Amino acid sequence: MKKQIIPGCVMLVLSLVIAIGSFTFLSPCVHEDGSVGACHWAGRALLGLGCLLAVLSVLALLSGRARFGIYLSSLAVCTVGILTPGTLISLCRMDSMRCRAVMQPAMIILFAAAGLAALCGALACGRKEKGRT
Amino acid sequence: MKNAPLPLKNLIRKPGRTTALVLLTAFLALAVFGGSVIILSLRTGLRSLEARLGADIILVPSEAQSKISFQNMFLQGTTGAFYMDAAVTDKAMGVPGVEKTAPQTFLASLKADCCSVKIQVIGIDPEKDFTVQPWIARSLTGELGDMDVVTGCRVEAGIGEIIRIYDQRCKVVARLEPTGTGLDTAVYCNMGTMNTLLAAAEAKGVSHKISSGDDSVVSAVYVKVKDGYDIDTVNSALTGKLRKVTAVRTRSMITGVSDSLAGISRTVTTMVIVIWALALIILMLAYILIVRERSREFAVLRLIGASGNMLGRMALTESAVCGLAGGLVGTGLAAIGVFSFSALIESSLGLPYLLPDPGTLLLLAAGTVILSAAVSALASAFAAWRLSRVNPGTALREGN
Repeated sequence: MKKQIIPGCVMLVLSLVIAIGSFTFLSPCVHEDGSVGACHWAGRALLGLGCLLAVLSVLALLSGRARFGIYLSSLAVCTVGILTPGTLISLCRMDSMRCRAVMQPAMIILFAAAGLAALCGALACGRKEKGRT
Repeated sequence: MKNAPLPLKNLIRKPGRTTALVLLTAFLALAVFGGSVIILSLRTGLRSLEARLGADIILVPSEAQSKISFQNMFLQGTTGAFYMDAAVTDKAMGVPGVEKTAPQTFLASLKADCCSVKIQVIGIDPEKDFTVQPWIARSLTGELGDMDVVTGCRVEAGIGEIIRIYDQRCKVVARLEPTGTGLDTAVYCNMGTMNTLLAAAEAKGVSHKISSGDDSVVSAVYVKVKDGYDIDTVNSALTGKLRKVTAVRTRSMITGVSDSLAGISRTVTTMVIVIWALALIILMLAYILIVRERSREFAVLRLIGASGNMLGRMALTESAVCGLAGGLVGTGLAAIGVFSFSALIESSLGLPYLLPDPGTLLLLAAGTVILSAAVSALASAFAAWRLSRVNPGTALREGN
C-alpha cells in the first residue's frame, strides 16, 4: 500500500510546484510594454497541466483499484508537459531569455520527475494486481 | 570477490541505511562535478573570448564608456548603440604601427518579433573585418549579401528563416558557433544591410545621427597592431590623434574577466574542499557507528567461520558500492542541473561561459564517480580495520 501511495504524494508536491511556479518563480518572460508572446501561453498551458496533474495525484491517493489507470494517465500528462515548452508551444528565440533559460529546463525536469513517480506508482500497482490474480 | 554477494545482500536488506549513505556520497559527487564543470566552462569561455576578440585595440566614442559598459556588450550581450564619424577608420590607419582596421556599427533593435527583449545588430565590413568574419566563414561558404544576416548561436532562428528587424525582412543565412560570450545573442549583417536598418530605425524615430549630422557612422573600430610595435604606444598615439574617441586595449578587458574568473574559481574550489572535508568526517563517523551497531552480526559471521580480513573486505566492498552508486546519482543530478541551466548560470555570473567538449565532460564524470567510490571506501577503512580485529566473544557479550 505504501509503495502505491508514496508516488502519488511525490506527484502532488511536484504538480503544485509546477502550477505555482508557472506564474511565480518559473514564470515566462515579462514584456516591458505589457504585450504577450508565445512563451506567455506556454506558461498558461503549464499552469493548466500542473493543476490537472495535482487533481490526478489527489485521485490516485484517494482511489482504490482505479489507481493504476490514474498513474498511467498522469504519465501521459507528464509527457505532454515535457513537450509543451518549446515543442508544442514555441518560446522566445533567444537562449538567454527567461522562458528558455529558466522556465523550459525547470519544467522539463519537474515533469520528468513527476512522470518517473507516476511510472513507479503504476509499476507498484501493476505488481499488486498481478499478485491478486 | 568471494564475499561480493553478501555485501550486496546486506545493502539491499537495509534500504534506509543504504539510501542515507548513497545520498551523502551523491552530495559529494554533485559538489565536485558541478563545481568542476562551472570552473572549466569559465576557463573555456575566457579562451573563446580571447580568440574571438582578435584585435589589440578597440576604438569607441568617448560617450560609449559612460553610456554603456562596452565590456558588458561582449560579456552579457547587453544592447548598446553609440556612433562616431566613419572617417575614424581611415584616420586610425594613418597612425604609425596600425596594421589593419575593421569598423563595426551597432544597432539595438526594437523588440524584435522573436523575443521580448532587444537584440544587438552588428554591421561588419566583410572585406576589412578580421574579428567576426573568420568565424562567419566557418559557417557560411558564400558571401554575406544584402539583407542577409548571420545569427549568434543563442538566437533560435533556422537557416533560411526570415526575421524582421525594424520591419525589414532579413534572411538568416548562417549561425555562428558558440563563444560563450554576449556575442552569441547578436545578429550580424554587412554594412549595406546595416545602412538599410539604420534608415528604417530613423523612420521609427530611433536616431543614429551624430552631432555633426553626418549619416556615415560607425560604432567601433577594431585595430590590429603591426608586429614589433608596442601596443601601449600605438594606443596612446590613437588617443592623441583621434578626438572624442576612446582607445580600449582588449588585453585590459580580458585581464578584468580573468581576475573575476580567478575569484570565482577560488570560491568554488574552497567550497568543494570544505564540503568534501565535512562529508568525509561524517562518512567516517557513520561507518564507525554502523560497524558498532552491527557488531553482533559480524560476531556471528566470525563464529561461523569468516575471518577478520573477510569482514574488513566486506565492509570496504559495501562502502565502495555505496560510493559508486552515490557517485553516479550525484554526477547525474549535477549534469542535469549544470547542462539544463547553463544559460542561467552564464547570465548570473556575467562572465564568458562555454561548456567544455563532450570528451572532457565524460572524463570528468568518470573521474568523479571513481573518486566518490574511493573516498567512500577510504572513509570506511578505519571501521573495516577495527572490524578485522574484533573478538566475537566480546562482541556478543557487549551486544547483550
